[in-house]
Amino acid sequence: MGSIDSLYDKIKRYLTSIFGGEGSTDAITGYSSGELQMAVFVMLLASLFRIFLIPLGIVLLLGAAIMVAYFAPIIRTVELENSNDLNRVLFWVIVYFSIILAVTLWGI
Amino acid sequence: MNEAVTNLWSVPLLIIIPILTAILVNLLYNKTKAIRAISVGASIAVLAIAVLSPYGFHWFAGHPAVNSDGTYTFTASVFSWKLSLEYYYGPLQQILIGLMSLLLLFTVLIATKSLSKNLGPYLAIIFLTYVSAAAVLMTNDFYHLWIAVELGSLLVAGLVASSGTAYAQKAALKYTFFSALAGSGLAISLGLILGLTGYVNITDAIHFLMSNDLGGMYAVLYVAFAFLTLAWVYAGGLVPVHPLKSDVYRSAFPHGTVLLQTQSKLMLVAIGIVMLRLFGSLPFATDVMLVISVLTMIFGVVMALIQTDLRWILAYLIVSHSGLVTVGLSLGTYRGIVGGIFQALNDVIYMSILLICCEMLLYFGKGSTSIKFGGGVAKKSPWLAAFAVLGAMAASGIPPFNGFQSELILLQAALEQGLPEVAAVILMVSVSTFVALFRAIYSIFLKPEPEKTSESYVGRFKMPDVVFISLVVLLSISLILGVYPQLAFSFINESALKVVLVPWVP
Repeated sequence: MGSIDSLYDKIKRYLTSIFGGEGSTDAITGYSSGELQMAVFVMLLASLFRIFLIPLGIVLLLGAAIMVAYFAPIIRTVELENSNDLNRVLFWVIVYFSIILAVTLWGI
Repeated sequence: MNEAVTNLWSVPLLIIIPILTAILVNLLYNKTKAIRAISVGASIAVLAIAVLSPYGFHWFAGHPAVNSDGTYTFTASVFSWKLSLEYYYGPLQQILIGLMSLLLLFTVLIATKSLSKNLGPYLAIIFLTYVSAAAVLMTNDFYHLWIAVELGSLLVAGLVASSGTAYAQKAALKYTFFSALAGSGLAISLGLILGLTGYVNITDAIHFLMSNDLGGMYAVLYVAFAFLTLAWVYAGGLVPVHPLKSDVYRSAFPHGTVLLQTQSKLMLVAIGIVMLRLFGSLPFATDVMLVISVLTMIFGVVMALIQTDLRWILAYLIVSHSGLVTVGLSLGTYRGIVGGIFQALNDVIYMSILLICCEMLLYFGKGSTSIKFGGGVAKKSPWLAAFAVLGAMAASGIPPFNGFQSELILLQAALEQGLPEVAAVILMVSVSTFVALFRAIYSIFLKPEPEKTSESYVGRFKMPDVVFISLVVLLSISLILGVYPQLAFSFINESALKVVLVPWVP
């Protein structure tokens, strides 16, 4: 027997179960928009690899789409990783700096 | 290339007047009337100098010039020497320092209106922050660049800490901690370039790099690039330092944030141009800058979307729009650089409008900027609501405001470079800025006022004349640049061309 819930009800219940609070709060609007933004961004980033090889871009785009769907919601992780915790920022600075050095020295 | 040693009169005045003012107001401490008179007078003076000054150099030290073909030029005449430690005041410096001077005037006027305790030391920090940004914009040598960036980062921490809350002081401390890291990085970078080329003058160093084969020393240049990138990221609050920078923006008084974000944007432009000139032709250099810019744009705007406080939203949007500035520079093309610098100019204007509206909500309205409660402010202060709505429209890139013009140029530049993905991210940022800002504006200004609570706004807002005039002036500039952007291009074009057409004489 199918559910009598509309698709809207299902999505609303799903989002409420993730974020808590009332289903129509500003936070839900923001988190939902943020989640969609991140999903689109990750796929755009993957598609950028077409610059090197078009099939590679296609494969990575599909992979990114699957990963985003599988790991959703990612916005909570994004929020946590963007927190102002000093150790976390320091960790990311070191990671970025290492990548920048590796990428640039690779060009030699 | 040799220049006549003009020793332009205006350059030292743009630095010395704010420093002297800082010393004076600090000594006066709490004598509000005297502090107000001196600081407003000094702000008007630097604004007038910025507008009226001719273009030229100011010389601190010199040496025989290195020509673009690697030969030296030496004559006994001092006037044929190459300027070594030098400041340059050109069209780009004029428009950016002129705008910053105007914002300094508004900041001083609002600060003297809204604060009374410790006014002298607070204004001293504001004036020194102005000096740091002006120096970074004008300098064409590594020593002054390093000193100004270091000075600037400490002053940011000072400005934030002086807002007095425990949270602000914690944010300032965290930012200062990274100052040690990024400042050392900048010093290492400059030391490596100095070791490679032997010149402190940026133009000389570029000439040397162009005319000499570095051979196996290229690795040193790459390491210098990486360290300079670290300083750029720190000074501008780009990813991954953006959580600390957004903390700084939201912890300071909103009028203080007006100057903080101006300083950040101008430093992004100034250091970004130096990076392009020095490393723009290296493989991967602009790619690295572009990736950092795109990540900053997206993380900034996503974090803004999930906030429930207007101050936080603005803090993250300032970070996100810093990415818009640097994405233009990172494209490295003429159109990209023009778009990036123009975006910096526009961003400073519309964010200042929104921050001043935020200041009004916090201090004159005795209310909260949280979007969880409030509402009905538009009824109590229609002008404030109108300014907030129009400022948000400008920030979202809606015509006829200035944000539209610069974002359009950035989109064109990205598409021209064959990067539609970057253009899509720019569009996403624009749309999300609209969503984030109008969520807050609706909740605070447009939504009907809820039942009276202890946190409700009481009475009708009386907007002080100073704030009203500041908002009218900034909104007028926003509209003028939106309708007639060529006005700004005439100042920006020259610098963009000089970056693209290396060799570059400042």
